[in-house]
Amino acid sequence: MRALALSMKRGSLFTPSFIIGVGVLFGWVALALLAAELAPYDPILTVSGAREAPSLEFLFGTDRLGRDVLSRVMFGARVSLLLGFISVAVGGLTGTSLGLVAGYYRGRVDTLVMRGIDAMLAFPGILLALIIIAALGPSITHVMIAVGISTVPRYARLVRSTVLSVREQDYIDAARLIGTSDWKIMLHHVLPNTIAPLLVLSTLQFGNAISVGAGLSFLGLGAQPPTAEWGLMAAVGREVLGRAWWISTFPGLAIFTAVMACNLLGDSLGKSLDPRQSAS
Amino acid sequence: MLLRFTARRLLQLAPVLVLISLMIFSIMHALPGDPVQLMLAGAESGSVTPERQEELRQAMGLDDPLYVQYLRFVGGAVTGDLGTSVRLREPVTDLILARLGSTLALSLGGIIIAVVIGLSTGVLAALRQGTWIDTASMVFANIGVSVPLFWLGLVFILIFSFRLGWFPPAGQDGLRSLVLPSLTLGLVSAGVISRLTRSSLANVLALDYIRLAKAKGLPDHVVYLRHALRNALVPVLTIVGLQFGAMLSGAVVTETVFSRPGLGRLVVQAILWQDYPLVQGIVLFMATSYVLVNLVVDISYAWLDPRIRDGEAPA
Repeated sequence: MRALALSMKRGSLFTPSFIIGVGVLFGWVALALLAAELAPYDPILTVSGAREAPSLEFLFGTDRLGRDVLSRVMFGARVSLLLGFISVAVGGLTGTSLGLVAGYYRGRVDTLVMRGIDAMLAFPGILLALIIIAALGPSITHVMIAVGISTVPRYARLVRSTVLSVREQDYIDAARLIGTSDWKIMLHHVLPNTIAPLLVLSTLQFGNAISVGAGLSFLGLGAQPPTAEWGLMAAVGREVLGRAWWISTFPGLAIFTAVMACNLLGDSLGKSLDPRQSAS
Repeated sequence: MLLRFTARRLLQLAPVLVLISLMIFSIMHALPGDPVQLMLAGAESGSVTPERQEELRQAMGLDDPLYVQYLRFVGGAVTGDLGTSVRLREPVTDLILARLGSTLALSLGGIIIAVVIGLSTGVLAALRQGTWIDTASMVFANIGVSVPLFWLGLVFILIFSFRLGWFPPAGQDGLRSLVLPSLTLGLVSAGVISRLTRSSLANVLALDYIRLAKAKGLPDHVVYLRHALRNALVPVLTIVGLQFGAMLSGAVVTETVFSRPGLGRLVVQAILWQDYPLVQGIVLFMATSYVLVNLVVDISYAWLDPRIRDGEAPA
C-alpha cells in the first residue's frame, strides 16, 4: 500500500492506462447506477418494430422483440458489474482465508489446502465453473458463485506466498513472544502485507469475471430471458446476425470496454506496486 | 538426470489424476440438486411416478454408498468406460471419440495462429523497443486479452462471412470452415504469448553475453536468432502448454459461435440437458488431457534447459 501511496504522490501512478481504466470503469458504474434515470426506454418492453436499425430515435437499434438495445445495454451494466463484485468477493474471501491459513500454519494444513488448490488448477479455464453450474443448474446467480469459486486458487496462491515470506520476519516472532494470539497476528500483522497485491489481482479478476460470466450467459448457462444481460443479448442477436448486426455488436462492445478498463487499471496498479515490472 | 526427472514427473501424475476425479465427483454429488429430479424435470407432471424415479435411481447406481459410486466412476474411467449418456443413450466414451477430431483440429489451428502471431509481434516489439511498433503490438496484446471470445467470433462472421463472403459462418466443411474459428480462438492466446515473448526477449537482450556477441562483430540476425531468441523462448514454451488449456475451454465458446459439433459444444448441451454422466465424462477427459499436455511441456522444458532438470531454479 505504501508503494501505491508513494507513486500516487509522485504522480507516476497517473499513466494513460490508469486514467483510461478508471475513467471507463467509472463511466460504467455511473451508467449502472443511473440506468433507470438515463435509459431512454424500458429495457423489457417492446417499444417499436422488431430489428430497427440504429437511428436518432434508437441509437443502438432495436432487437427481435422491438426492445431498445441502448436501454438494455445500460441495464445490462448492472448485471455485469454485480457479477464482477460477487465473484471477486466469493473468490477473494475464500482464497485469501485459505492462503492465509495454509501459509501461516504450514505443515499438514498447508499440504492439505494446497493439494486441493492444485486439483482446482488442473481444470483449464472455465471448466471448473462449468461443472459447478452443471451441479447447481443454469442461472446468473450460480454463474456469479461458480466464477468466484474458480478464482479461489489464484487468491490462495498469492496470499500464501506473501504470508510465507512475511512470517519469517522478526516482528512476527516478537508478537508471538509477547503472547499475541494466532488470529490477531494473522489479521493485524500478516494480512495488511497482502492488501496491495490483492488489490491488483482483484481488479484483474473483476474484468475476467465480467468476461467469463458474459460468455457463460452467451452459452445459455447464465442469465435467462428477458433479463437485459450482455452475453445473453449477444447470443440472441447471433441468430439474426446477418440481418441485424447491432443486436450483438453493442453488448459485445460493452463487455470489451469494461474488461479492457479493468485490465488497464490492474496492469498500471501492478506496475506502480512492483517497479521491476515496468522495466520489462 | 533427465530420466530421473521424467520418472519423478510421471509419478506425480497419479495423485493429480486422483484429485481431479475426486473433485469432479464430489462437485457433482455434494452440491444440492438430485440428478434424478433434475433429469425428470422436463417430463410432464404426473407421468413420472415415484416408482419410476426409484427405478432410475437404482439403474444409475445412485442408491449405493458414495465411495462405491466413486470407485465405480474411477474404475470405469481407467478402463475407458465413462458410463452412458442419459439423453443420447450412447456410451459417453463413444460420444467423446466421435467429436474429438473436430475439437483437436480447432485447438491445433488455434495454437498455430497463437504461436505465429504471438511470437512475431512479441519479437518485433522487443527488437524495436520504444518505437511505434512496440506500442502497436502492446495495444494489440491488450485488445487480445480483453476481447470476449464469443464476440470476436461474431465480429469475424459479420465481416468475413456476411460482408466479404470469404469463409463460411458455421459448420464443419474442410479447411475453409476452420479459418475463422481458429483465428477467434488463437488471437486471445496470441496476446498472452506476445506479451511474454516481448518481456522475455527484452530481458535476455540486456544480458552481457548478448553485448559480447555484438561486440565481437556477429551479424544482428545471428545475435538475435541464435543467441537471444533461443534462450528467450524457454519460458514462452510453458505458456504455450498452458494455452492448450485455454484452447480447450475456449473451444466450448468458439464451437457454439460457429456451430461446430465438437466436445465443447457437447459439454454445454450436456449441462443444458442435465445429463450428468456426459458432463462428468467430458470434463474428466478434458482435464486429464490438459494435465498430460502440461506434463509433456514440463519434460521438454527440462530437455531444453539443463538448469531445471538439475534442480536449479532458472535465472
